[in-house]
Amino acid sequence: MKIEIRTAINGRELEASVKPNQTLLEFLRDDLHLRGSVEGCGVGVCGSCTVLIEGRPVSSCLMLATNIEGKQVTTIEGLAVGDQLDPVQQAFLDNQAFQCGYCTPGMIMTTKALLNSNPRPTEDEARDYLSGNICRCGTYAEVLAAVKSLSGKTPPPPRS
Amino acid sequence: MTGLGVNVSRVDGPAKIRGWAQYTADVELPGMVYAKVLRSTYPHAKLVRVDASRAEKLTGVVAVLTRDDLKGMNAYFGPVVKDQPVVAIDRVRYVGEVIAAVAAEGRDIAEEALDLIDVEYEALPAVFDPVEAMKPEAPALYTERVKAQSFPAKSGFRLESTGNVLSTYHVEEGDVAVGFRESDEIFEDVYTSQKIQHGHIEPHAAVAYWEPSGKLVIYTSTQTPSSIRAQLAELFELPQSKVRVVVPFVGGGYGAKTHPRLEPLVSVLARKAHRPVQWALTREEVFLTAHCQAAVVKLKTGVKRDGTIVARQVEAIYDAGAYALTSTNTARNGGEVAGGPYRIGHQHLTSYCVYTNTPPTGPYRGFGVPQVCWAYESQMDDIARRLGIDPLELRLKNLVHEGDVFVTGDKLVSVGISECVKRAAEAVGWERDKEQGFRELSGKVRGKGLAVMIKTTMTPSNSSALVRLNADGSAVLLTSSVEIGQGTQTSLAQIVAEELGIAVERVSVTFPDTDVTPFDQSTSSSRTIFTMGGAARQAAHQIRQQLLEIGSRVLEADVEDLELVDGFLEVKGVPEKRRSITQLFQARFGAAVGNMVGSYDNQTTGGLDPRTGKGKGSAFFFLSACAAEVEVDTETGKVAVQQVVSAVDAGKAVNPRQCHLQNEGSMIMSLGSALFEEMVFDNGQPINSTFLEYMPPSMEDHPKVFRSLLVETPHPEGPYGAKGVGEAGLGPVEPAIGNAVANALGGIRFRDLPLRPDRVLTAIGSARGKEK
Repeated sequence: MKIEIRTAINGRELEASVKPNQTLLEFLRDDLHLRGSVEGCGVGVCGSCTVLIEGRPVSSCLMLATNIEGKQVTTIEGLAVGDQLDPVQQAFLDNQAFQCGYCTPGMIMTTKALLNSNPRPTEDEARDYLSGNICRCGTYAEVLAAVKSLSGKTPPPPRS
Repeated sequence: MTGLGVNVSRVDGPAKIRGWAQYTADVELPGMVYAKVLRSTYPHAKLVRVDASRAEKLTGVVAVLTRDDLKGMNAYFGPVVKDQPVVAIDRVRYVGEVIAAVAAEGRDIAEEALDLIDVEYEALPAVFDPVEAMKPEAPALYTERVKAQSFPAKSGFRLESTGNVLSTYHVEEGDVAVGFRESDEIFEDVYTSQKIQHGHIEPHAAVAYWEPSGKLVIYTSTQTPSSIRAQLAELFELPQSKVRVVVPFVGGGYGAKTHPRLEPLVSVLARKAHRPVQWALTREEVFLTAHCQAAVVKLKTGVKRDGTIVARQVEAIYDAGAYALTSTNTARNGGEVAGGPYRIGHQHLTSYCVYTNTPPTGPYRGFGVPQVCWAYESQMDDIARRLGIDPLELRLKNLVHEGDVFVTGDKLVSVGISECVKRAAEAVGWERDKEQGFRELSGKVRGKGLAVMIKTTMTPSNSSALVRLNADGSAVLLTSSVEIGQGTQTSLAQIVAEELGIAVERVSVTFPDTDVTPFDQSTSSSRTIFTMGGAARQAAHQIRQQLLEIGSRVLEADVEDLELVDGFLEVKGVPEKRRSITQLFQARFGAAVGNMVGSYDNQTTGGLDPRTGKGKGSAFFFLSACAAEVEVDTETGKVAVQQVVSAVDAGKAVNPRQCHLQNEGSMIMSLGSALFEEMVFDNGQPINSTFLEYMPPSMEDHPKVFRSLLVETPHPEGPYGAKGVGEAGLGPVEPAIGNAVANALGGIRFRDLPLRPDRVLTAIGSARGKEK
């Protein structure tokens, strides 16, 4: 059995048929071939599968694909515009805020969500917000430096 | 300068921040099917019946693999002893051992098929504790010892012929009986380290297929492509040229992705399926696939009243789990350095590698050393306390120095250990507060602690590199070193660029593909910058020599008077007399075509004699120190790390930022195992094998003061003096935290990891009781 959904992924509207038990992560990776979001734990605690739904961070390994009906989904692939990196991506590059890179897309998406909701986070606020993204390589100090470099530089998201 | 010693930006950065970097589970091949496996629910049992006939009939199932499919082939593998079957054959030895595998059109179908496989077990008595397992009456995991072996003669350890002890390592110096008699004080303790998850965020994954010609191709998330190729070739009796191992980006490993893990099974399954098969583990399965060896370390030390360490006897018991892998080497590695980085005239060091009915272990960052470092560095502070000597002074008094002969017989070079500990201590403001009595302990109390470490690297070992220079002055380095997060593609590019006098951006570094890239022992043991870096430098150097010779003719100058700068060969001091690399190609080939090629097979020599435990144990030594400050809540038992500073001797930092990043990784990883990480089993059943119940450190655990320091004591044999740093910082973090907790709590000593709040509260309670 399949269920028809209408959604928008990275700004492009699309219709798709998904299985009722298919996770959003499986839909993104298997059906749409968007492989930047990855599975780390499968139980929604490591953050490496984080995508934004209507600008808010979600563990795509826990959400069902059917739940994005009518919603705007942003994945890591949707941040850069052509060669123009998103400021968060640029800050991660400039601050060397990654090592193996596996958790990086999720970390970037959560940082994006943090700055959307709080453009000038204190270090404690950033730690708290990003504590659901695990980096076993231990690159936390550099991620915090990237967040600090972005503080106050992100314009608030357009009101809709 | 072309970038050596400079923080060159990571070449893999753009791919990683765009979510474009390809990991093994991202590889998709036409016709690919998906594997799921059935795992044992018993810790030790005979396999009476395995019947997959119902599963085979399920629509969408392409192939099912059981022990019946292994008849007539080499069914066992292992890098040291071939004790591990592709799937269980006559018995299972741990909860989670693979009994059967299904390849199907979808993961859900494969999962469904597993329910249709019937297994009948006959339970056997099991043993979970390595000390228990060493007793003669303990249930034996193996009825007869595996004969097939594949390890170098000079690995240092001896294989035992019966019982659960797989191997023993022993080395000694002087006479400990004499040493203990000459000592004023004797300290005797038992320390334990727990089972820890590597916790790499990318679960193990592999994709295998067979070309119609009979060649096996496998994409795999491994740290050891050359070893995988060799073992698959043996398993299938193929020439190594007919096994192709490709390694995309690897999402962390820390040792868990060394040596065969998924590769034998997925290759056999793909052969039966006649389709490409992908097998990607779930997180729970990762917990059953590799972890760090737990250890029990018995430590006896004799000292003079002035703090001189006279004698040390150590017995370290490592829990290998159910299959050997390289735990024999891990146990030896811990045994070698169990006396610590100290001058001790009388030493008697023994280590054991013991089978138990728990999941197989693997090399874990530090390779057996953190377990002994936890013991000797914790005891060191007890010694300091009893003798009334400052812990920093006590260490400085006993530390090894440049040129000392180590217990293995190695002459120590590049020994920046004293500077490491001094700088780490200084960074945390080393002046300890006066310790309080136990009864005064209330509210939150603070303390500081120090620790030091010495560690060896895999020796002997081989790394080969091949460099091709193009006519436009760009170069490609062909290497089987794995980009696992440490930045190896960047640092190796820096070395090639330095040698050829070209910009780093003009150097490309390949991913491992054993059809194309030359042999490399492993991306482990923090050996890449030293051994592969040395190979890459020499390979590029050969091309440099070719350029100089051509230039010498063209410019009519002596080779000694020429230098390579920014893609040009110049006469020193006469920059107008120069030729571009392209012009030198034209001079040689008549046109801007062709390649200049350099290759080098780098071998570090040495090894340890299993009879004496001596020889040349290490191509270079890791030396490091850690200083920590903690705050202990005496009401809740919670330990909060306020400051942690790690100083490591990098020899020469090729890319200082990468060295710091790796070191920071060691620091936070070890903070987790110091305070809370612990795999828990109940009668062999894993209790906490998800990230819900076993959480690696998050940003909230990250100390506010968190500093990595690099000391540079150049190593004469490392490229430009460089040696590895990936694991160097890990060992001293646990004991530095333990020592800081002891300092905060008036000397209360914890000997079992991790320092959980319940343990802290219990210890405070019993100390108060004793004081009354």
